[in-house]
Amino acid sequence: MAHSNWAEWIYLGVVTALLIYVGAEAWNIERIIDHAPEDAEIIKVTAQQWFWSFEHEDGTKEVGELHLKKDHAYKFEIQSKDVVHNFNIPEYVVLLDAIPGRINTVWFSPNEAGEFDIQCREYCGLIHYNMRAKLFVEDI
Amino acid sequence: MSKIFHLSIIMMTLFIIPTVSLAFAAETAGEYIDRKAEIWNLFFRMMTVAFVVGGVIAGTMVWQVWRFRESNPNSKPTEYEEKGEF
Repeated sequence: MAHSNWAEWIYLGVVTALLIYVGAEAWNIERIIDHAPEDAEIIKVTAQQWFWSFEHEDGTKEVGELHLKKDHAYKFEIQSKDVVHNFNIPEYVVLLDAIPGRINTVWFSPNEAGEFDIQCREYCGLIHYNMRAKLFVEDI
Repeated sequence: MSKIFHLSIIMMTLFIIPTVSLAFAAETAGEYIDRKAEIWNLFFRMMTVAFVVGGVIAGTMVWQVWRFRESNPNSKPTEYEEKGEF
């Protein structure tokens, strides 16, 4: 039976366009987010049962708390000494696994001064629930 | 005419939306991006697309059920039904 199928082509075109849009947009945002600025200060983050320790570029070490400056870029080099942990700053949507024997990197720039939570987001043993640290963003 | 028109609509939709979107998402030099805003905005855009696709599919199904119901005055029996084979 002969019939018109223009509606099917429109339908197919719209669905394909939406899929391309979803793929392109997600890829582009991921690319932008992954691209760390060259002037980002490197902070070495070490996870271990059940606390976080941080080392700044100048060698300053902090345990259980991290002091950063507002509107500066920071690149975290995250590693674990024992099991898999996950470095998470919920307020700044920073979330990355800490894997033993591997360094994972993520960067961000705090744009608000204040006190924020850092937590482990991957179950890592008995005291996982309390594997927390404090992020202090200072307006300098 | 009709074919060219429809083809051009499809091609424009296929290429213009992604291109415009990529252009607007470009980085501004000298500023750090707001990671939180980028990620949440992406999430909201993806949700919009997901709901549009869901709406179109659900709408198509509702229309098909309505249009091809037996009691629709426009419905015609299939050739098998006409011959009593079904």
